[in-house]
Amino acid sequence: MGHVSIFSGAFGSGKTEIALNYALERARQTKYNEVLLADLDTANPYFVARDARGLLGPEGDAVKVIAPVRELAQADVPNLPREIIGLLRTDNDMVLDLAGDKFGALVLGYISKYIRARTHYNMYMVINPYRPFSSNLNEVMELKRLLERAGRIEFNGIISNPNLVEETTLELIKEGHRRVVGFAKELEIPVTYLAVEDKYYQVLYPEYGNDLKSIKLFLRPDWIRGLEEGMKDGEGQG
Amino acid sequence: MERVLMKGNEALAEGAILAGCRGFFGYPITPSSEIAEYMARKMPKIGGVFVQAESELAAINMVYGGASTGARVMTASSSPGLSLKQEGISFISEAELPCLIVNVSRGGPGLGGIQPAQSDYFQATRGGGHGDYHTIVLAPSGSQEMMDFAMEAFELADKYRIPVMIMAEGTLGNIMEPILMREPVTKFSEKPWATTGCRGRKPNIVNTLHLGNEELESRNHQLFNKYQIIKENEKRADAFLVEDAEIVVVAFGIMSRIVKKAVIEARKKGVKAGLVRPVTLWPFPDEHIRTAAKNARLFLSVEISMGQMIQDIQLALAGRVPVEFYGRIGFTPNPEEILQEIMRLAEREGL
Repeated sequence: MGHVSIFSGAFGSGKTEIALNYALERARQTKYNEVLLADLDTANPYFVARDARGLLGPEGDAVKVIAPVRELAQADVPNLPREIIGLLRTDNDMVLDLAGDKFGALVLGYISKYIRARTHYNMYMVINPYRPFSSNLNEVMELKRLLERAGRIEFNGIISNPNLVEETTLELIKEGHRRVVGFAKELEIPVTYLAVEDKYYQVLYPEYGNDLKSIKLFLRPDWIRGLEEGMKDGEGQG
Repeated sequence: MERVLMKGNEALAEGAILAGCRGFFGYPITPSSEIAEYMARKMPKIGGVFVQAESELAAINMVYGGASTGARVMTASSSPGLSLKQEGISFISEAELPCLIVNVSRGGPGLGGIQPAQSDYFQATRGGGHGDYHTIVLAPSGSQEMMDFAMEAFELADKYRIPVMIMAEGTLGNIMEPILMREPVTKFSEKPWATTGCRGRKPNIVNTLHLGNEELESRNHQLFNKYQIIKENEKRADAFLVEDAEIVVVAFGIMSRIVKKAVIEARKKGVKAGLVRPVTLWPFPDEHIRTAAKNARLFLSVEISMGQMIQDIQLALAGRVPVEFYGRIGFTPNPEEILQEIMRLAEREGL
């Protein structure tokens, strides 16, 4: 039976990278049956799953990215891939990547009845506590309320994604995760896993075990790594 | 202070709030919309005003009105939206009102696309609307500078009674980077010219109509005296490895960071490359360009446009050193392609 996995959360919480990695993992688990990754980000066409086509490596062949058609892929109009409802009514393995905040969840609301008709579906809330509007319990509770109301599907898992991209440290992951676990307790939703970049996986594994998942970033441009702003190590003339 | 992960657009909006901005007037457009969204969430909670105006024209004229009262106010848009705001910017410039105008720029002409571009350089640095005027233009290179420059922009705006523009490519507005939150500004300069209610004093009048010939000319002279002072005081640029550079690459905004990486790689290959990064696009840091030209055989302007800043580099160098150009539209070039261009030029010149 195909699963539907929905990734929702605040703007910039890491949904798209998490969804891409999850789709690859599903592909591996199902011995490379086709996984459909639906890019339903209607809010902002920068750094979206459709950009990852061709970047996912050999395993990516099993992941089919469903996104607005070619000439509309970069249009800032709210357009959905036209085949989305038809695909939801089949028994495919599907990963849905929504836009952030309630705007993204409204799209989910529109297709929610087709999802509820499926046997297996999971609705995940991705939280990075280092993002604005996700840093305390009140903000996260408000976000959950808005997302569930607009999306018409209740969360049954939280994905903890504490990071400051290139400036992430082990301490920062641990502290951020403690906060997410605290939110999860209050929201009475289990933490499904803690997502960390590959390089932190080994060292954190003893502490978190199978609650830990390693992810690879596909959309972050390489050139940003190790580039401080300004020319602080140059001969400043200004 | 805790570090926060912010999109450039969010960092800029928060920076404006920290600088005491309490009025945002705008009309959403990709790739700048997160600024309006952030303001819509935050302003009502801090006693500020957020208005989604009926159009870009309305928004810029709300800025005109808000700035007249002495409040710190701003608008943000993206390229086609900025075109619509030009009339208002001309009025605000003549009225000498401080405010912040943000362009998170995308590709044109026309509706163009939502992909990043720097092709509003001419519009930003040459005034942009009708009449003789300039705005100060700052070009941040990352999320932290989006915050820092927003704060700096309000200081410069008040200091010179001038609209200050921040120009950032769409990529910069949308990419997330960790930033250090700044402390809020608590000291503000007096604005005796502001229309704050005239009980007990003569009314302050904000007006841009000057029917007398001499009055019109003298107003222009007053403005240009001010622009001269700004040129003397405020040109800013960063330089990297220019001392012995034979190829000097010039790039602004997020492009400058990408070029820096290419320059480092070129050095590893034995090519003496350097970088000048204009921080102010107006006033253009021509002296920094000339200083970097000491050992230069060649300049290379890298822009996300068909070549606009190249003209300011050529003006600064006055024909002493040739200036080449490399540009893309709608793509943020990566370090490899810039390195390739540097190496191609180095080979051609026998460097």
